[in-house]
Amino acid sequence: MTDERRLLEGIGVSPRVGFGTGRWIGESRAETENPTTDEVDPAVEQSRYESAREVAHDSIDRDRKRALERIGENEASVFEAHREFLTDPQLTDAIETAIDDGEPAPRAVKSAFADPIEQFETMDGPMAERADDLRDVRDRLVRTLEGTDNVALESLPSGTVVLAERLTPSETARLDPERVAGFITQTGGRTAHTAIFARSLGIPAVVGIEAELAALDGEPLLVDGEAGTVIVNPTRQEQRMATAGVAQTVRSEPAETRDGQEIEVAANVGTLADLEPAREHGADGIGLFRSEFLFLERTDPPDEASQRTAYRQALEAFPNGRVIFRTLDVGGDKPISYLDMPAEGNPFLGERGIRRSLEQDRDLFEQQLRALCQAGGAVGDDGGTLSIMFPMITTVEECEAALSVLADVLEGLSETGTPAARPDVGVMIETPSAALLAAELADRVDFLSIGTNDLTQYVMAAARENERVAGLHDPLHPPVLRLLEGVVADAHEQNAWVGMCGEMAGEPRYTPLLVGLGFDELSMSAVSIPEVKDRVSGIDTAEAEELAEHLLECHTRGEVTAALERWSAGVQEGT
Amino acid sequence: MERTVTVVPEAGLHARPAATVVQTVNQHEASVQLATDGSEPVPANSMLAVSGLGVATGEQVRVIADGPDAESVLDAIEAILSSPLEEE
Repeated sequence: MTDERRLLEGIGVSPRVGFGTGRWIGESRAETENPTTDEVDPAVEQSRYESAREVAHDSIDRDRKRALERIGENEASVFEAHREFLTDPQLTDAIETAIDDGEPAPRAVKSAFADPIEQFETMDGPMAERADDLRDVRDRLVRTLEGTDNVALESLPSGTVVLAERLTPSETARLDPERVAGFITQTGGRTAHTAIFARSLGIPAVVGIEAELAALDGEPLLVDGEAGTVIVNPTRQEQRMATAGVAQTVRSEPAETRDGQEIEVAANVGTLADLEPAREHGADGIGLFRSEFLFLERTDPPDEASQRTAYRQALEAFPNGRVIFRTLDVGGDKPISYLDMPAEGNPFLGERGIRRSLEQDRDLFEQQLRALCQAGGAVGDDGGTLSIMFPMITTVEECEAALSVLADVLEGLSETGTPAARPDVGVMIETPSAALLAAELADRVDFLSIGTNDLTQYVMAAARENERVAGLHDPLHPPVLRLLEGVVADAHEQNAWVGMCGEMAGEPRYTPLLVGLGFDELSMSAVSIPEVKDRVSGIDTAEAEELAEHLLECHTRGEVTAALERWSAGVQEGT
Repeated sequence: MERTVTVVPEAGLHARPAATVVQTVNQHEASVQLATDGSEPVPANSMLAVSGLGVATGEQVRVIADGPDAESVLDAIEAILSSPLEEE
């Protein structure tokens, strides 16, 4: 082995750079011929094949669910195709016939898949990718039959650069982006599922390298998924740059676009234990403090003093940042034993959030507001830190009623001379009606915060936990995007600022779109913060606005997704 | 019973629409075949056969169904092929 620096060129498929040690995981796992075995019993082989098919079926299902959670609904659908290939009558017939003719099951599987794989490989355009899918299904079956499970892709040591002849979509989906420094394959193209998975997972990847990759096992490698290059034995400086390019670099300072526009990047927290990780990941503040944890799993409501302590702790964790508390947001779907919560046929359209706070839970609401204002007073907040927002607002009257409860609470505190802070007040936009009333609501409060999960569910009439309508539950559907645009414009007109605290905010792919739409703040799970901040700093506002304008003209989610993808690809190519 | 449908999804009979067609066929009591202009009819309960047609967007597909559910399976397949369900 020489330590000479060498450059290999391929096709970059994800805009990331990574540095690590090469690890050859072999050629396509089932293409190697195994030695001919002795006589086999067809009946035994038949039942081995059947049980392997069941195992493969379950593992496809698990991968589909994992892809659904980690990557996206579109990408997960590839596993539906895999399921159909697994049970395809032409393939199963061919395999069963070969087994009847005396072939061992693994060989029967390999030979039945060989022809169709070859046929798809010669097809033009996107259909050629079916060859990858077939290989993926075949490898699953063969692995199960031969008991030779692949290298444990899920648990490769940190800093591994995976080297392979090719990676199937399911293998790619199993890579842990926190540990894998990148992957390099000999085959593959930009539009293959494997490439799309790599992009979604943020794994640096270069495909289509013509060199002998097995020889790079154990070598220090720099994978530049943007330039499409691999550097063997990179220089110290290159290594440093690669590691700095990894978005895990935490920035504690606020994120700024290239043209100097500051975007507040905050964390969503659900318990006090989430505060420290939020700080560690560089949150500017808390954009959504879900106060429910104080109320759940108890037999009686928490008293004012213990609430005060909890709120104060959150405020002290971010002395220079904003902490937005959402008032109690419960409904029939998360019953609380000490509250009167009759079962409702459709809890998401029933008594929840502010609706309960203004009626049956009014005492609790007043108490919570009192505890919040006092916590603000205790930390000496003189504006800009303590913020309160109301969930599930659908009318201007509800907003006014909630504001007047707050005004009464503040008056009460001032009458008794209790130190209290006057909070900034906001409304959550999570119903279509609130979105359409954004101007009227923004006129009455300091800020709006869009909860995209619920907003999407209500706009698209698709429950978020119902997998059967998962395709509808996507904020990239044009009506959702257009509502977002309207809310931001209306709020800004009323001099209110606008944030987003739904899952969409934590998706780095959407950061340019959200900046382009004019969001002032994005709040997300702590782990997404470094990457989103990183993304913000690469954005030019005017370009992002153009992107948003373009996406708003799309007619379908498919067009939006495609346009977004094209845009990212364009940025990646440096155009 | 048969019907001719124009394929709307942008990527043609790509992974997802093809899988959905096969799933739909398997849920109905009918024997279903697909054919394109230049091809012999192929069984629509086979992912291999359906993908193998290599149908691109805008192409016409002949759907032939036979059996008690023929009518409803034709409706269902027509709906899949003519909705712009996107891929990638």
